[in-house]
Amino acid sequence: MGDSQYSFSLTTFSPSGKLVQIEHALTAVGSGQTSLGIKASNGVVIATEKKLPSILVDETSVQKIQALTPNIGVVYSGMGPDFRVLVRKSRKQAQQYYRLYKEHIPVTQLVRETAAVMQEFTQSGGVRPFGVSLLIAGYDDNGPQLYQVDPSGSYFSWKASAMGKNVSNAKTFLEKRYTEDMELDDAIHTAILTLKEGYEGQISSNNIEIGVIRSDREFRVLSPAEIKDFLEEVE
Amino acid sequence: MTGSMDLPTKGGFNFDLCKRNANLEMKGLKLPGFLKTGTTIVGLVFQDGVVLGADTRATEGPIVADKNCEKIHFMAPNIYCCGAGTAADTEAVTDMVSSQLQLHRYATGRESRVVTALTLLKSHLFKYQGHVSAALVLGGVDCTGPHLHTVYPHGSTDTLPFATMGSGSLAAMSVFESQYKEGLTREEGIQLVTAAIRGGIFNDLGSGSNVDVCVITKGKTEYLRNHELPNPRTYVSSKGYSFTKGQTEVLYTKITLLKQKVEVTEGGDAMEE
Repeated sequence: MGDSQYSFSLTTFSPSGKLVQIEHALTAVGSGQTSLGIKASNGVVIATEKKLPSILVDETSVQKIQALTPNIGVVYSGMGPDFRVLVRKSRKQAQQYYRLYKEHIPVTQLVRETAAVMQEFTQSGGVRPFGVSLLIAGYDDNGPQLYQVDPSGSYFSWKASAMGKNVSNAKTFLEKRYTEDMELDDAIHTAILTLKEGYEGQISSNNIEIGVIRSDREFRVLSPAEIKDFLEEVE
Repeated sequence: MTGSMDLPTKGGFNFDLCKRNANLEMKGLKLPGFLKTGTTIVGLVFQDGVVLGADTRATEGPIVADKNCEKIHFMAPNIYCCGAGTAADTEAVTDMVSSQLQLHRYATGRESRVVTALTLLKSHLFKYQGHVSAALVLGGVDCTGPHLHTVYPHGSTDTLPFATMGSGSLAAMSVFESQYKEGLTREEGIQLVTAAIRGGIFNDLGSGSNVDVCVITKGKTEYLRNHELPNPRTYVSSKGYSFTKGQTEVLYTKITLLKQKVEVTEGGDAMEE
C-alpha cells in the first residue's frame, strides 16, 4: 500500500491525504475499553467499563472518570497515561480562564482548548498524537452538553455517543433508545444497559464507573453503592 | 562664669530640627515618605475552629477610596485569608494561591490544608523580596485541626492562637491581649473579634466603616459580610436637598456655540438588513 511509506512520520501527509499516525491513534482508541455518554434534558451521564488487568489490582486506586471543573467531567477510551496528561492540562487551562475572567469556563471553551492541545501534538516535531478520545460532559448557562474530542483535535457535540471496543453495537443501541426529552435517571439506566450489551462477563458496581451532572451543575462520580442501586433498578 | 545657661528639659516634641528641615526642603531635598497600610485585620482560634475579622476601609493616602471593601479573601472552602497592605497585591496573591490550591485539590483528591496555602504564600512573597506588599492573616480548619498564621511581605510567617495585622493592629491587639483565653465559644470568639476590629476602626485613621467576620469550623464556613455597621449615615434628609436659582451668585457668563458637525439629510436609502 502506498500509504505505508508515510505511516511513520506524523508531520507528512500520505498521497491519499491522510495523516496515517492519526489513523493509528484512532485504532488505539478503538481497541480501548468502551465508554459512552448520554445528554438528557436535565443533565448528562458518562460511563465506562473498568476492566482491570488482574483481580489482584486494587480497584479503588483506579478512577477513569475525572472532574475538570466543578461543573465539567470527562471520560476516555484509549491510553490511560495520555488521558492523565490531558486532564492535567485541561484543569490548568480552566484555572487560567477563571483567573483572567473571574467566571467559570464555559463547556465549549474548555473543549476548544483541549482540542487545540490535541491538535498541537499532530503538527509538532518529536511528539506523537494522544492515543485517547475524550467524552466531555458539562452543565453551564447553555444547559447540559456532551462533546467528543478525537486524537486529531476535532470535536463534535453529541446527544449520545460511544467510543472504544464496542462502539458500533453501542451506537446502534443508543440510536434505538435515545429520546429527545429523556430525563437523567432514564439516561443512566440506558447507559448501564448499553454497557451491559457489550460486556464480557458479569457487570457489577465495581467494574463500571458512572459520572453524572445534574441541573445543580455539580459533576460527581457515583459511588459503588449508588451504582449498585441503579443496577438493581435496571434488573 | 563660662558655659551656656541650662534650660530645664521640657517634655514633648523637640522642634529644634524643624527649621533645618524646612530649609533643606526649600533647597529641593525630598523628605522620606511613610507607608500606611490602613487596615485592621485579626484572627483567633476558638474551641471549634477559627474566627477572622477585618474592617472595610480602603485608603488612598488621606482619602477613603472604598467605604465598604472586602478584605477577607477566599482561598479554599475551608480556608480564608485577610489581607493588609497594597490592595492589588493582596487580591492578586490570594487569587493566585487559591487557584493553585484548586489544582492541587484535583490532583490529590483531598481537602486543602492550611499549611499548603501558607507555604505557597510565603515562597511567593520571599521570591519577590518584599516588593509584593501583602501582609496576611491566614486561617482555616482542615483534617489536622484549626490553624491560624500571619504572613509578612518579606515571606516570614508566625503561627499563633490570636493575631492582628495592619495599621490598626496595635489597637486590636490591646483588646486581644486583655480578653483572649483558650477554649472560647463561637459567640465569645465573634464578640472578641468584633471588639478588636472596632478598636481599630475608632482609634486608627487608616481603618474604618464596617466589621466583616468569617467563622470557619470543621465542615462549615460562614462569611458574615458587614456583621456590624458601627458607622451608619446618621442623617439623610427625606425631602432631598433643593437649590433654588439665585442662591449661587453668578460672577461671569460666557457662551460658546459648538459648530454643527453632523448633517441630517431627509430621504435616502434605508440600510440593508
